[in-house]
Amino acid sequence: MKNAVILLVALLVGSASAQTTPPLGIIDKTPHLKAFTNARIVIDPDRTINDGTLVIDHGKILAVGSSVEVPPGAEVFDLQGKTIYPGFIDPYAEYGLERAPDPETRKARHPIYDAVRVGGDAWNDAIHAEVDWSRYFAPDHEAAEPWLKQGFTSVQAVRMDGVLRGRSFVTSLGSGLPNDLLVRPYGWQVAAFHKGKSPQEYPGSLMGAIALLRQTFHDVTWYRQAHAAYRKDPSQRMPEFNCAIEALQHLPQEKIIFATGNTLDLLRAARIADEFSLDAVILGSGHEYARIKEVAASGRTLIIPLDFPAPPAVTTIEDELDVTLATLRHWERAPSNPAVLEQNGVAFAFTASGLDKKDEFLSRLRKAVKHGLSRQTALAAITTVPAEICGVADMVGSIVAGKSADFVICDGDIFDDGTAIYATWTQGVPEEFIPLDEPSFAGSYALTLGGGEYNLTITDNRKKGKRKIEGKLLRDSISVSLKDIAHEQDLISFAAALDTFGASGIARFTGRLVASSLGGTVVLGDGSRHTWAAVADTAEVTSTNNTNENEEHDGEITLVSRLTSPNRAFGLETQPPQQNVLIKNATVWTSDTEGVLPNTDVLVTDGHFAAVGQGLTAPDGYMVIDGTDKHLTAGIIDEHSHICISGDVNEGTDAISSEVRISDVVNPDDISMYRSLAGGVTCARIIHGSANPIGGQAEIIKYRWGGGSEDIKYRQAPPSIKFALGENVKQSGWGDQFTTRYPQTRMGVETIIRDAFQTSREYETAWANYTRFGKKDRERTIPPRRNLRWDALVDVMNSKSFITCHAYVQTEVLMLMRLAEQYGFRVPTFIHILEGYKIADEMAAHGAMASSAPDWWAYKFEVYDAIPHNPCILHNHGVVVSINSDSHDMQRRLNQEAAKSVMYCGMSEVDALNMVTINPAKQMKIDQFTGSITVGKDADFVIWNGPPLSVYAHPEQTWVEGRQYFSIEKDLAEREAIEKERTALIQKLLTTDNKDAPPGEKKKGDGDKGPYVDPGTKGGSL
Amino acid sequence: MKTLTLILLLCLALTVMAHDYVPAPPQDHPILLKGGTAFTITDGTLEDTDVLFDNGRIAAIGRDLTPPDGCEIIDVAGKHVYPTMVATGTSLGLTEIGAVRATNDAREVGRINPDVQTRMAYNPDSEIIPTTRSNGVGYAQIMPGGSLLQGRSCLVNLDAWTQEDAVEVSEVALHLAWPAVTISTGWWEERSAEEQKKDMIKNREAIGRTFDDAHAYYLARKANPNIEIDSRWEAMVPVFDRELPVWVHANDYRQIEQAIAFSRRYGFRMVLLGGCDAALAIDLLKENSIPVVYGYSTALPNRSDNDYDQAFIVPRLLYDAGIPFCIGKFSATAVRNIAFDAGMAEGFGLDHDIALRSVTLSAAEIMGAESEIGSLEVGKKASIVVSDGDLLDFLTHHVTMMFIEGRKVDLDDKHKELYRKYRDRKGPGAGSGN
Repeated sequence: MKNAVILLVALLVGSASAQTTPPLGIIDKTPHLKAFTNARIVIDPDRTINDGTLVIDHGKILAVGSSVEVPPGAEVFDLQGKTIYPGFIDPYAEYGLERAPDPETRKARHPIYDAVRVGGDAWNDAIHAEVDWSRYFAPDHEAAEPWLKQGFTSVQAVRMDGVLRGRSFVTSLGSGLPNDLLVRPYGWQVAAFHKGKSPQEYPGSLMGAIALLRQTFHDVTWYRQAHAAYRKDPSQRMPEFNCAIEALQHLPQEKIIFATGNTLDLLRAARIADEFSLDAVILGSGHEYARIKEVAASGRTLIIPLDFPAPPAVTTIEDELDVTLATLRHWERAPSNPAVLEQNGVAFAFTASGLDKKDEFLSRLRKAVKHGLSRQTALAAITTVPAEICGVADMVGSIVAGKSADFVICDGDIFDDGTAIYATWTQGVPEEFIPLDEPSFAGSYALTLGGGEYNLTITDNRKKGKRKIEGKLLRDSISVSLKDIAHEQDLISFAAALDTFGASGIARFTGRLVASSLGGTVVLGDGSRHTWAAVADTAEVTSTNNTNENEEHDGEITLVSRLTSPNRAFGLETQPPQQNVLIKNATVWTSDTEGVLPNTDVLVTDGHFAAVGQGLTAPDGYMVIDGTDKHLTAGIIDEHSHICISGDVNEGTDAISSEVRISDVVNPDDISMYRSLAGGVTCARIIHGSANPIGGQAEIIKYRWGGGSEDIKYRQAPPSIKFALGENVKQSGWGDQFTTRYPQTRMGVETIIRDAFQTSREYETAWANYTRFGKKDRERTIPPRRNLRWDALVDVMNSKSFITCHAYVQTEVLMLMRLAEQYGFRVPTFIHILEGYKIADEMAAHGAMASSAPDWWAYKFEVYDAIPHNPCILHNHGVVVSINSDSHDMQRRLNQEAAKSVMYCGMSEVDALNMVTINPAKQMKIDQFTGSITVGKDADFVIWNGPPLSVYAHPEQTWVEGRQYFSIEKDLAEREAIEKERTALIQKLLTTDNKDAPPGEKKKGDGDKGPYVDPGTKGGSL
Repeated sequence: MKTLTLILLLCLALTVMAHDYVPAPPQDHPILLKGGTAFTITDGTLEDTDVLFDNGRIAAIGRDLTPPDGCEIIDVAGKHVYPTMVATGTSLGLTEIGAVRATNDAREVGRINPDVQTRMAYNPDSEIIPTTRSNGVGYAQIMPGGSLLQGRSCLVNLDAWTQEDAVEVSEVALHLAWPAVTISTGWWEERSAEEQKKDMIKNREAIGRTFDDAHAYYLARKANPNIEIDSRWEAMVPVFDRELPVWVHANDYRQIEQAIAFSRRYGFRMVLLGGCDAALAIDLLKENSIPVVYGYSTALPNRSDNDYDQAFIVPRLLYDAGIPFCIGKFSATAVRNIAFDAGMAEGFGLDHDIALRSVTLSAAEIMGAESEIGSLEVGKKASIVVSDGDLLDFLTHHVTMMFIEGRKVDLDDKHKELYRKYRDRKGPGAGSGN
């Protein structure tokens, strides 16, 4: 109590003199000392006082406790039967800020490749790092109201626009001057993977956004060093001023908020944070349960939205056709996501952002509690954890003396259905929703009227915050309902049809509640005025709260859906075990020097081929597969695929984008992987598209279906990068507005690539020179700026990273080979390469390999000379040829695509099969690890029902590293399981009361891969 | 390898005499294909059988036929003899280079184009056509593109001087692309689900109004032949007379169901083209006797949750249900692969004879050309393909001869020509292979 007195004195000293704004007129000096007594006070998630007193003054908590005395002169609120919670904090909001305007775009004519530069800002319009959003903050009571109604008292806000969004602020949701409301004017930097309203083309893809972030984080370090060196030696070329990079200088000591919209992006944000040792808090999506192990392993604190999906539309069998199993599962499991996070030790706060209507926040939260989230964690997730995230834990988040007087008064446990919030206090100022002293008219009254004795019964309930008063008059077991009921404070008026009781017409009553009796004036049907009185005849009062009509209790939820990885149809409940296997008596296509071996056995141990021969015996514990009449080949390898990529496969904006990396956007959820396993594929290079001359860095994946994005990467593979030439990169087919980006001709394509090589070489030299300096010189010398774009090309020129180049016509192929030769390296692989046959010898001499498709042609002018004999000619001239898919569809039939060379130009079947096994492995530089049935290599193999190049052949089993990822039997069993699960989920949906949520509302971004596209009409843009 | 050399010699001979692939002159003497395995389609597979044709028509099929006077005897022992394949759903001759606008004639502007006819624009000199013949396709339906009422298709033979020479059936069908029914959830979609549903209903109402107007015209025209001619509705008179079928392009079950109900309401003969979801609509198709032109026997599953082989097994399901169907290819350049699309269906359970039929006689039947083409039968047009082996499998497919109406077709094409030109080119660094 002593402390409180001291504080009281301090406040008295400060209150009148501490603010700058001069008052106008008479100065408001209303006392603010208030005491709340007899309340259940939830101090924080761990401490509750059952009968306590809270004292506040001037927006601050003076004292709280069970033995706190009410200070003299305090305004007292008797909170008997009420509970006080600390005010809730939303750590991610766009409050009090204007939304980012739509840019005035020049796009109608031409795309925009550069930014309008103002005040030394960033080169990219998606970077707003220098903006302190508190400077643009205008309190907005109308916008605050929905939060206040749900018990929120403060939010962390930022404009939700851009890749680096600027600095957030934390504010009270009360009304007044921003100067008084801002709890923490300078919050944290906020990052996201969307460029938002920036009119600038770059970054056009998810991988581009990540690359932009990565480059900018590198720039932070460079900028510091450069300016330090410049200060030491101002005779150097002056390093640029950049307010955005300058604003990021404190990042290493601060938190950063990453806003993401799905779990894969959440994990991507965590990896970027790891890469730069950033203290990141990540906004999730509510899907975390589906990859909970990875999410938990990230160790990050999360901000979790509660936007549980609307019930999928399954009431008609027609609508049901659009509903995926994944959608059904998420409908069932989304409410248990917070419980899963809790069980896995993930720290998290909740946000109301992402909810269409904020007034659903509490009901969603209660639903999460019913689905197993503990009440303690739930409370922490709206108080202490967000306070911690926002850096304001010393000011808000619990009811402790000295903290802001931010609290919620409600009439029960906040996590119980029916608990109503009476008022939310921000900085000692109430926002009242239900008067604390609201009288209840409920009761049974004895009413005397015109000599008649009636029973008057009134019910007075609150349901979802809305008050509902009903009543009836009863005499001689005849009952009449009251109508036109109106009320204000203790005044009630209603009408009743008294003719039912033999009187005339409708009588209108008005009365006040005094003690427990009602009485006032009534005008009867005949126009006569009387007074009336009704005396309460029982103590029966209907409780105004806690009508717990919901039968469910915490954690009592039965789930009928399965959880698989990925969490969709044909996902796996567990990874298939690595099995030791002996395949007996198969026709073995080795794709090695032995060619095809009839009646041969293959032994697989610990994920590798251990022996190939006849009469092999299975050691103990080995699974034996009878290969009689079966054909065994190495797993099919696809040199050119675009499956398993999140976001756009093209950073098709700047002509050079070598800094973007497919490895940042690997998507292990793509069903294409499973379908391709069913076509015998076990490995692929997934690559950037062909929208620019120098595209992005590729990734090689093994088809370890069910693994995470990092699990499916093939670590043995060296880096590679996509280049592209010809019509796509000069934007020939992009539309009439795309005529301004350099290059627009094949001449320009050569020039821009040459220029990039030259610049990268000079960049490499600059670094070499710089690193030769001693420590002292280095401190005085502005270092070269780490440039991820040139870094990637330096690796190419040093043959540490390998080009796979999209090309069609002979001129451009010769051009790039000669250019590479001038810079002292080789182009290992050309893809498409449909005119390769015209320069087969030149390619062979250069050391170039060819990855082609057999019979696509005539879809654009540069493929008008494409011929299906191309692979044969190249092969016969000594070029290593592979057949690739460039297609989610064709990937499943690469054996057939290879067979076309047998058909068109008489290639041997062995050579043809090699085009989809060992040859692509050579092109991807993984041939010492996979691509053939060779002792010591990865046990990636396919068991076919017949000769693998026949149109009638299809895989019966597909294995990757000794794990069986596809078999016809397993697939059939899974189909049945899916059907059963789907039926159960639909029945559950149909029997669930969905009246709270309108069914069938589809949100953008829920879709899969877009509409079906006929492969016959597919162009060559990838 | 021997046959390859033979072809090459043949091709070389032809290139000497012509700079392009000259349509063959009418058959002027009887030809006997001796001792091959005849895949008749209607009468099973006949080993060691002769096929005799004259004046463009098949004269006899049997063992040890006696050649008439002046008969050319071609030994096809060990080879397979088939009717030429008949492709459905193609845009051959209407498009040359997809990305070059000037070469595209498949889509007319607007949504109500029953009066446009593909035979008016079919280019028999398209470089794509010879590459299609090379793989055993002798006839192709030429189909318009576009939305809603696209126009009328024709059936052509693929070895002709002019579009008039080419036409086998001048009006195969009126084509109606049924409006979409799936709610799009892609990032590009700006309309809500409700808005999309409203648009879908509007589109369906638009077709209804179009058919109402056309039918009103039809009734008026029947009552008074002298009314003013409406170009669009006049083209639809044969639809209401049930002479011209309507091929409805529909893939989703809901489209198929709606289209069948629509065909019953307006009383036209319907053929379903597309049919991704045909498996879900089997009973409906059967009850209403709707033939199916299926174009997806190698395609991706129709929905993300579907079984990996969902598209592959549709031909088998249609066959098992007794629904008439053929396998088509909705493309120009890929039409040459229809044999393998049939082979793929066979790989997933369709009987071999039925797979063959699905790209020959069944296609002819659905287009009303079965009395002339599609099988090896006496009296039918002598449109015949000879392959070294099984036509449906890459490993054996090797077309060495083709006759269309008894005319011996030049099997050279742009691709073979470029192959010959470059196969033995010696460039700098020759022999330095990697």
